Amino acid sequence: MPPVGLYLSVPFCRAKCSYCNFASDAFGPARMDAYVDRLTEEIAQAPAKASAIGATLPREVDSVYFGGGTPSLLSAARFQRIFEALRTVFSLQSEMEFTLECAPGQLADETLAELLRHGLNRVSLGVQSFVDQESRAVGRFHTRDVCLAEIARLRSAGVQEINVDLIAGLPHQTHESWRISLEQTVAANVPHVSVYMLEVDEESRLGRELIAGGVRYHAHHVPDDGLVAEMYLEACEFLGNDGIPQYEISNFARPGHASRHNLKYWKRLPYLGLGLDAHSMLGDWRFQNTDDLNAYLEGKASPDPVSVSPHEASEEELFLGLRLNEGIALPEEGPIAHVLRQLVRDGLMQVQGDRVALTPKGRLLSNDVFTELLGATA
Amino acid sequence: MDPKYIRNFAIIAHIDHGKSTLSDRLLEMTGSLTAREMQAQVLDAMDLERERGITIKAHSVRMMYTARDGQTYQLNLIDTPGHVDFSYEVSRSLASCEGALLVVDASQGVEAQTLANAYLAINNGLEIIPVINKIDLPSADIPRTKEMIEQAVGLPADHAVPVSAKTGLGVDEILESIVHLLPSPKGDSNAPLQALIFDSWFDAYRGVIVLARIINGRMYKGQKIKLMSNGKVFDIENLGVLTPKPVEIESLSAGEVGFFVATIKNVADTKIGDTVTDASHPASEMLPGFEDIKSMVFAGLYTVDSHEHTLLRDALEKLRLNDSSFFFEPESSAALGFGFRCGFLGLLHMEIIQERLEREFNLDLITTAPGVRYKITMTDGSVLEVDNPSRWPEVTSIEKIEEPIITAMIMTNEEYVGGILKLVEEKRGKQKNFEYVTPTRVMLTYELPLNEIVLDFYDRLKSVSRGYASLDYHLTGTWVSPMVKMDILVSGEPVDALSIIVHRDVAYERGKALVHKMKELIPRQMFEVAIQAAIGSKIVARETVSAIRKNVIAKCYGGDISRKRKLLEKQKEGKKRMKRIGKVDIPQEAFLAVLKIGED
Repeated sequence: MPPVGLYLSVPFCRAKCSYCNFASDAFGPARMDAYVDRLTEEIAQAPAKASAIGATLPREVDSVYFGGGTPSLLSAARFQRIFEALRTVFSLQSEMEFTLECAPGQLADETLAELLRHGLNRVSLGVQSFVDQESRAVGRFHTRDVCLAEIARLRSAGVQEINVDLIAGLPHQTHESWRISLEQTVAANVPHVSVYMLEVDEESRLGRELIAGGVRYHAHHVPDDGLVAEMYLEACEFLGNDGIPQYEISNFARPGHASRHNLKYWKRLPYLGLGLDAHSMLGDWRFQNTDDLNAYLEGKASPDPVSVSPHEASEEELFLGLRLNEGIALPEEGPIAHVLRQLVRDGLMQVQGDRVALTPKGRLLSNDVFTELLGATA
Repeated sequence: MDPKYIRNFAIIAHIDHGKSTLSDRLLEMTGSLTAREMQAQVLDAMDLERERGITIKAHSVRMMYTARDGQTYQLNLIDTPGHVDFSYEVSRSLASCEGALLVVDASQGVEAQTLANAYLAINNGLEIIPVINKIDLPSADIPRTKEMIEQAVGLPADHAVPVSAKTGLGVDEILESIVHLLPSPKGDSNAPLQALIFDSWFDAYRGVIVLARIINGRMYKGQKIKLMSNGKVFDIENLGVLTPKPVEIESLSAGEVGFFVATIKNVADTKIGDTVTDASHPASEMLPGFEDIKSMVFAGLYTVDSHEHTLLRDALEKLRLNDSSFFFEPESSAALGFGFRCGFLGLLHMEIIQERLEREFNLDLITTAPGVRYKITMTDGSVLEVDNPSRWPEVTSIEKIEEPIITAMIMTNEEYVGGILKLVEEKRGKQKNFEYVTPTRVMLTYELPLNEIVLDFYDRLKSVSRGYASLDYHLTGTWVSPMVKMDILVSGEPVDALSIIVHRDVAYERGKALVHKMKELIPRQMFEVAIQAAIGSKIVARETVSAIRKNVIAKCYGGDISRKRKLLEKQKEGKKRMKRIGKVDIPQEAFLAVLKIGED
């Protein structure tokens, strides 16, 4: 049985960024203790909960991922309590990947020291842009200099696995400014980069403003879809040329530095999500916690676990596996193979030996590609 | 009952002028229905009728009324369809009556359709009682409404009854007027049977039900009857009256109105306007005014999912049991597969059929652009009737084309005349008359090609007049016109289901507007899509739907796969409702883009 990856959600932020569509918020620090109480309780109950639905929860853990929100805001003492709880239930492998998401300039020395004691070896920095005007416009607190200083500090503390998050499509972004962020990222010599494109939906303030056609949150300075698509393609090429090839739609890494934890999502390996709005997959089961903080703190019921049918599992293998640059094994003759061939003819997919993968254009239109494929499986 | 005490009447009114409310009130006041049984607007029974606020099918109700003179009268209310598509049905309903109530909204005045139906009633020799409704509204103006009735309809309005159907005020005066002002039916109960069919429908439990007015003679249970238009003979199984609940009786005599059920299997045998007679003692001739129903508007109906083609056929067959006024025959399209060419009485009729198919049979349909039937004389002298653009002959073999022409009456306030004149000019109209019926109300009479009316004319008329124009029309002839077939090409391939027939002089403009509208209706796809309009090999207009640049879920929040799946499922459902032609997904509404030109 493969080891499990643990995702721990920490939904606290100093302020909510305008583009954020997650369940995080600037909940007061007063609620952090209550949250950690509930989180440790959930950890303790995890094996019982898994067996109640008939899912297998491995004891061995080979990745721990603190995501947010801004998990770096939790104090050392709170992390101490969380790890006590984790070690009671799980066996944390000594060579595990241990990632902390961190807002540049928002990680206290004491917290860092505590996390290093527990094996922290990877930090994901929410840089989003190295151009100060752009990060300011979406409500981030850092500057380029703070980001670079944070990277240097982490390195000197012994954390080599550093990821830089970038967003294409921020207000005020241009071709030139995007280039600056990419160049700065390469110059910082980090081994891992994530590139996202701004998501426009009703879940974020900026998204709602864009849909409404307004001007708040600098919405009228958001680059158009065509430009964002070009920025994305440029990032793929630029990072690839500098030895940071793409391995997933949004992820780039120097060889040997891909994120073990994130790969579990695409390869359908078991992971357990703990905390607000956390998602889990154990064997044939998927389940998630409520995204309402009060409900979570009161231990109220979350949505029912969903069992993934063999048909749905094969669909997931398609649309998750194809997110990876390595693609999927060429399928046997049938409706899927038929659609794939058409997609290859249309330049959206390419065959590489006995595998088939998205082309750069196919990645940009991956929802359409996946929809075509799902249509063929129905 | 002695015909002396029978009154048969219809109600003529514009949409929203209160016909249904008034009918309800009459039923209530004659005790035909107790208040508890009273469901608002009993007569408009079909869901669609309720929603649209119009009457599609005719009905009849018998009410017993004891008048102030102490005598009990039998009042038969014959409800008429309220739309220009059904003017033949209206004329047959009116022919079943001796009188009519002309209901006019006290604040809105007389509308074109009211006027057209009022003329129809006058021409049928009906006595008319003007009823001024909605007098409870603050904007009611009774003297002005009377003046309009006199000037526009040409009827004396001194005996007009002011009422509020809503509150019931004055409704008893209507009942008295019906009794005293409307003539009783003439007719001879001892003569051979002549009954006028004014409606029929199929009831799943009882079979074909026919509504008829007995003009002469008697109709009774077990009688052998003959339908005079087709000579078919049936046995009457039972007959009765609607009160509005069906009540069976033994016989119906001259002057009365009721329903009968005979051994009729096919509703199409019971044609509106036909004469029912006694098979053993037949009348020597049919009642006047019978016409075979002719389809005016034609369109192709297809299912989005081509596997549902047989379901559509079954649904059409079932609907036709209820509505013999539309016809269908199989046709096939290279783009859409197997479907049906359907003929309708008008555009509303088409919409109703389409909506009923979608609602009652749960079908996802594609309707192609509605058109009319052309008479084409070929160079070799032969004559074709073509209602399907895909059957349009080669240009070089056409000698002349005749298109159907209607005469339209448009009634409006003078401030909208400018906009309306512009519209009818654009639609190739020829003015026949321009008349001020009151100092501020204008009646325009125009000849217009039916082909232009079936597109977006009615909606455009409403929009240029802000709803203050009403329209009535009837078919009056043909024009010889240079019509051409315009093809639409999607990504370079002609799509047969999108072809339309247009007048040569407006083809260029129409083509430009059409491809522009299609560009708005076709969502962006993974590749660029060219939309072109062509006449023969000549491209007259082109638009391009640019390709989607990105459609990707980048962020993965802690392994939230269900959100990704939901998004993909939603997108997949959206695509299912579109028709894929070649590689292009075309939404249903794009096939009717030609109806939406001019909308924003």
